[in-house]
Amino acid sequence: MAAFEYRQAQEIRDAFKRREVKYLFIGKSGAILLGYPDTTQDADLFIEKSIANGERLVQGLLDLGFRITDEQAQQIRQGKDFIQLKNGPFDLDLVFAPDGIERFDDAWNRRVEIEGFPVCHIDDIVSSKQAANRVKDKESLPRLLSFRDWLKKQK
Amino acid sequence: METELESNTPREWREEFEAAALRPLEQRMRYAFIRTHKPVLDDAEYRSFDTMEEYRAWCDKNLPDWLGYGRV
Repeated sequence: MAAFEYRQAQEIRDAFKRREVKYLFIGKSGAILLGYPDTTQDADLFIEKSIANGERLVQGLLDLGFRITDEQAQQIRQGKDFIQLKNGPFDLDLVFAPDGIERFDDAWNRRVEIEGFPVCHIDDIVSSKQAANRVKDKESLPRLLSFRDWLKKQK
Repeated sequence: METELESNTPREWREEFEAAALRPLEQRMRYAFIRTHKPVLDDAEYRSFDTMEEYRAWCDKNLPDWLGYGRV
């Protein structure tokens, strides 16, 4: 499979807007949308956990060309904390309860819109990376923290 | 005089942030998203976890250390 592309991010944005899916880009893909220069492989989406939003999300994913079984659709509606999709035109990680962020609504209220892409605030992206406490996050956090400070100076 | 941000951030990083800010989003994304095969992680079309704790434990147990998904 080829690398995730801008065009595919646009397809997510447009399909989810049509279906009224409530979601945010999070993780390094979110930081990249905010301007962070680094590399990553997957797009990570923070999804509002509700049955109605889960149903809209399933419809949006089907629109995008993901091959989702009935059982998988049920799990997505139900809002498992973490779902990895590699059964579509690109890879997606769906996160319903990211480490370090208490409530979706709080992150939603702090979101930043970049060319119509709803993105977590840099503070939330940093918080989730800090709370995840993975080796790869620990290695990359000093630069991400510097980017956060730099970004805030640009306002 | 050097600001606190400048003194705490390597100059090279600041220059990278500034250069990235001048690029259109489409170009930034073209530079940012890469594709390499991640063993185990990429070997299933679908996975779900009831909790993040369950996911983290799965990563600890199943993924090679060098991928960096293990907890510190």
